Amino acid sequence: MLKKHNILVVEDELELAKSTISSLSENGFLPFHAKDLNSARKLLKQEKFAAVLLDLGLPDGDGISLIKEIKNTKIEIGLIIVSAKDALEKKVQGLELGADDYLTKPFFFSELNARLKSVIRRLNLEDNQQLTINEITLFPEEMRTLIHGDIVELTGKEFGLLLYFFSNPNRVISKTTLGEFMSSSYADYGFTDDVVYTHIKNLKKKITNSGGDDYIKNVYGVGYKFTVA
Amino acid sequence: MKLLTKTSLNFISASVIFFLLGSVAMYFSVRNIIAEDLQNRLLQQQKDFFYTADQNNLTDLSSKLVFIQITDKEIIHSFSDTVLIVNDSYILYRKLQFSYLKDEQYYNVSILKNQSQSDSLIKKIVIMNVGFAMLFFLIMFFVNRHSIKSALSVFYSTIRKLEDFELSKLQTLTLETAEVQEIKKLNEVFEKMATQIYNDFEAQKEYTENVSHELQTPLAIISSKADELMQADNLSKEQMEQLELLLETTNRLSKINQALIFLTKIDNRFYTQGSSFSLNDLIKEKLQIFETAIQDKNLKLELDLLDITQIYMNPYLAETLIINLIKNAIIHNSNGGLLRIHLSNNILSISNSGSPLSFPEKDIFKRFTRSENSKKNLGIGLSIVQRICELYTFKIAYTYASVHQFKIIFKK
Repeated sequence: MLKKHNILVVEDELELAKSTISSLSENGFLPFHAKDLNSARKLLKQEKFAAVLLDLGLPDGDGISLIKEIKNTKIEIGLIIVSAKDALEKKVQGLELGADDYLTKPFFFSELNARLKSVIRRLNLEDNQQLTINEITLFPEEMRTLIHGDIVELTGKEFGLLLYFFSNPNRVISKTTLGEFMSSSYADYGFTDDVVYTHIKNLKKKITNSGGDDYIKNVYGVGYKFTVA
Repeated sequence: MKLLTKTSLNFISASVIFFLLGSVAMYFSVRNIIAEDLQNRLLQQQKDFFYTADQNNLTDLSSKLVFIQITDKEIIHSFSDTVLIVNDSYILYRKLQFSYLKDEQYYNVSILKNQSQSDSLIKKIVIMNVGFAMLFFLIMFFVNRHSIKSALSVFYSTIRKLEDFELSKLQTLTLETAEVQEIKKLNEVFEKMATQIYNDFEAQKEYTENVSHELQTPLAIISSKADELMQADNLSKEQMEQLELLLETTNRLSKINQALIFLTKIDNRFYTQGSSFSLNDLIKEKLQIFETAIQDKNLKLELDLLDITQIYMNPYLAETLIINLIKNAIIHNSNGGLLRIHLSNNILSISNSGSPLSFPEKDIFKRFTRSENSKKNLGIGLSIVQRICELYTFKIAYTYASVHQFKIIFKK
């Protein structure tokens, strides 16, 4: 079993924080909550974190100021800005200051899991750069897939989907979420359910044809679940 | 017409009218004065005549310009004009006719005086008058022009500054201080107005940002709770479907909100910082994004970027423009259809062979207009395209003749 990563959730909306925390702990993280900049600073001194989810509009100031503080002292902490402000300049400013990623509210937890794991993976290069679930092994940097040790050729989209499922094992991922995920890197191209369905069907076929188990289960036609026993 | 031209023209036309009227009046009054003078001199000569005639023989008094004739009756003395021919030329004379009684015999006496001299005098006076008046008007004209120009220099600088004034450059309007009361007042009003507009602009920007923030957060809560609920193991199919619908609708609402905020930002001239870049490269770069989408739909891509088109735009807006147009052409295309992108001579046209519109052609750029079978689309993409074109005064047109074609004429 992998060690649990500590995640700091800096969020002033209590309900959103609650859901985020429960989703993170279900996904194998150990979340901590800070409702403002001050308590975030305190927690950062007490605990060692793998990543921080940072809301920008906080009651005691702009989260932007915390980015510098964190990145100046602990470069290895992953930092994802989670903001309702889709303002381009905020995004650019945040990323320039050292943030690793930017999520716009509202976001999907599956998306958050995927991004969080990707950021942690990138920042901890000493960790093994491969992900394994049973017979399937992924090399995210090289976009390579092995099933039972044999290389399986996946398209970019299929590999992205599989990595996304790997980040969200045993989680129901709705069609909307998957559509958004597939669109996000494609300039918000409006992916229809059909397109999502086609790509997943192809991916399933390639896994089972290579002797892998059929992990991707359709849930009542409203979403998919990567089931790992 | 320029203010200076207008005032100059007014000055000139008024001057010409007054000058003409004045000249005519002066001509007649000078003529009158001179005629009176001539008559007075003739009368003086008559007196002299009476005086000398009493002592001398009348015939001796007769001369080139004094005619004496014997007559039976007395005539009333009168003035008249007469013409004599001297050396083959006509010369105008003024004649005084009167009766003279000597030795009980009436004589009719005519004294003539040359008028041509006084005519030439009148001519000289008129010419002098015209000359001086012209000179005077000319001087007045230039003095006037110059003084108006200098008085209005601040006014012109105000106009220039107002022309250059752009809200989004985040500059305040500072105008020159004027000596002229009215222009000073005008500048004050302008400065006040600019400050007011600037403040309103700032407030509106803040408002859009707030609305965005305030709406997105509750949407995030709804979406997160639905997502959380979905993970429960004991849900029925119906419950799952409803949760998915909830997620989808929330997502849609958030997208609409973001798109409207983006439109407002364009309207508020939020994106004005521009740079120059090649449209060809931008199109090629953005097409890569849609590679999979084009493959998925089996579209036939025809790309003719004939000449290098350099445009000056805000890069983000340019990107949005191209992405939205290509996206539109892919989404509304039929499977195995044609996607044609043509660029030449500053004209970009993007065509797709989708099925005909299910709504009036003129509504194509209207917000929330979409075809029956694409209810999932927001119907804002083309409004954004149109708005960006409007911002840069690029012409955009939609035509349908077996293929849908969007054509943008970029300014050279």
